[in-house]
Amino acid sequence: MTAAVDHTPGRPATPAWLVVAEQELRDLWLAGRGLSLTLAFSVLLSVTTYLVATNRGLNFLEQREAVNLTLQIAVAVGALLVLLGGGDAISGERERGTLETILLTPAPRRALVVGKAVAAFSLWLAAFAVSVPYVWFIGRGVGVVGVALVSGFIVGGLLALFLAGLGLFVSALAGSNRLSLSIGLFALLALFAPTQMPTAAQHGWAGDLLLRIDPLTSGLHYLGKLIVDAHSAGADASWLIAPVVAALLVPALALGVSGRLSLRRPEHA
Amino acid sequence: MTAAVATRGLTKSYGPLLAVEPLDLELEAGVVLGFLGPNGAGKTTVIRMVTTIVRPSGGSFTVAGLPDSRPAEIRRRIGVLPESAGYPEAQTGEEFLRYHGRLYGLPRGGAKAAARRLLVEVGLGERASSLVSTYSRGMRQRLGIARALVNDPQVVFLDEPTLGLDPAGQRQVLVLVAGIARERGATVLLSTHLLVEVEEVCDQVLILNRGRVVANGTVAEVARRAAAPRRARVQVPPGLRDRAKAALADTDRLRIDEVENRPDELELTIAAGIDPELEAADALRRLLAADVPVLGFTLEGGRLSDAFLAMTEAG
Repeated sequence: MTAAVDHTPGRPATPAWLVVAEQELRDLWLAGRGLSLTLAFSVLLSVTTYLVATNRGLNFLEQREAVNLTLQIAVAVGALLVLLGGGDAISGERERGTLETILLTPAPRRALVVGKAVAAFSLWLAAFAVSVPYVWFIGRGVGVVGVALVSGFIVGGLLALFLAGLGLFVSALAGSNRLSLSIGLFALLALFAPTQMPTAAQHGWAGDLLLRIDPLTSGLHYLGKLIVDAHSAGADASWLIAPVVAALLVPALALGVSGRLSLRRPEHA
Repeated sequence: MTAAVATRGLTKSYGPLLAVEPLDLELEAGVVLGFLGPNGAGKTTVIRMVTTIVRPSGGSFTVAGLPDSRPAEIRRRIGVLPESAGYPEAQTGEEFLRYHGRLYGLPRGGAKAAARRLLVEVGLGERASSLVSTYSRGMRQRLGIARALVNDPQVVFLDEPTLGLDPAGQRQVLVLVAGIARERGATVLLSTHLLVEVEEVCDQVLILNRGRVVANGTVAEVARRAAAPRRARVQVPPGLRDRAKAALADTDRLRIDEVENRPDELELTIAAGIDPELEAADALRRLLAADVPVLGFTLEGGRLSDAFLAMTEAG
């Protein structure tokens, strides 16, 4: 039995966040639900694409609108997957009894959160990758595919960062996994709620403000301006303020609470 | 010599509930400490405090010479098998250990080598590539012990490592525990309910009851100090047993029982709180004074289980 570990503090061979991220990605994509969720998403996208294409044939949807709708579905479902991934990341480990052994390692708490965020974010990348051929198929011939993919990747990426942070923030603080996922889903529904407002209400100053401060609706609105209305990227950049702020602020909050990661179950056996 | 674990007034409360009363403890390096106490005594809370998982409400501690203000460095030097630890079902045993090795800063190759070596050490070498979900409870506990050793720790905390194991599994785990101290020279704090095995494996014992230390010392010291009843056997000529009983009967410090099918023996139970050696000597004097030849006299050793029950039931 030989001493294998240098006990002097210093940089580990690989940064701890990268070690965590590698393992989380392996758990998610090789042994976990990543592939099955992506498969389910591709089935959903196939169905919606078929419906959109059919409607386009009947002139119910313009081709640009069809691309926008497909991309919005990709962003919405990707956001949901990221939120679920983040929401389960810490409270799930706590519930399965595996968090304590992780917390007992010298890896910084912040590194654990970053590593888990990377894994949650990968769900968005997979959702986006799946949506690419569908967007290309629907948008071919009208010169919108490039803009749609680039803007969709950026906006979706910002929203995925925001929701990964939100999921991890709630997961770090929630007393149970069920509570964490419930709060996350409720928050997602609340974020989507402004899209269900009557058109007239959306055009008033209050509706406009609500759409702008909600990162999800403002991001989707920006996509619509670029893809459907063919505006330039800079013309409506103000709609990106909320997604950018949320993508920076909420993950920072999640990192902030990472120092307080605990088992949360007082036991005195 | 720096204590492997030292606490000063370490305390923990959850709201109005005082889970651990101010605890002063000093554990020398290389010692195997049996950490005993009934359920709810505060053992797990103490372990979680000194392993930096739970923040104490008061007091201070050092582990491997490091103060509690340096938790990350403490974690680098300790190995812990938590009570009721969970295991990732979708990982193999080797993958689990490799991951933890890398979290302790081992390079990829080093973590792999350490994982394989430790799996062999705990008897799981042939199951290294099996998913943890296929492991029995005993195998999981051994995997947990391997995980606790992945950073070659100076101090190892094992919280109920034999919980839920059959006798064979308990034996395997205790052999491993003994090996950790003997071969690695690590200090071991073993929380368990297996008192007989503690007597075999541990150098020292600490008994905690309702968050308070009620005994601390070597197994023999604790057993002797305990206010537990002790027994002695006296062998006299068969025809003199009644006279022996009469000679010993004039004290309430002894209970005298005849031994079934042994007409030449009496069993003496020395009341709790009485010094057993002095009382035995006094009994011998009275027998000799009554002209009863004593053919044999055996004072049974104080048992840790008796001490444990006496100390924890009294609390």
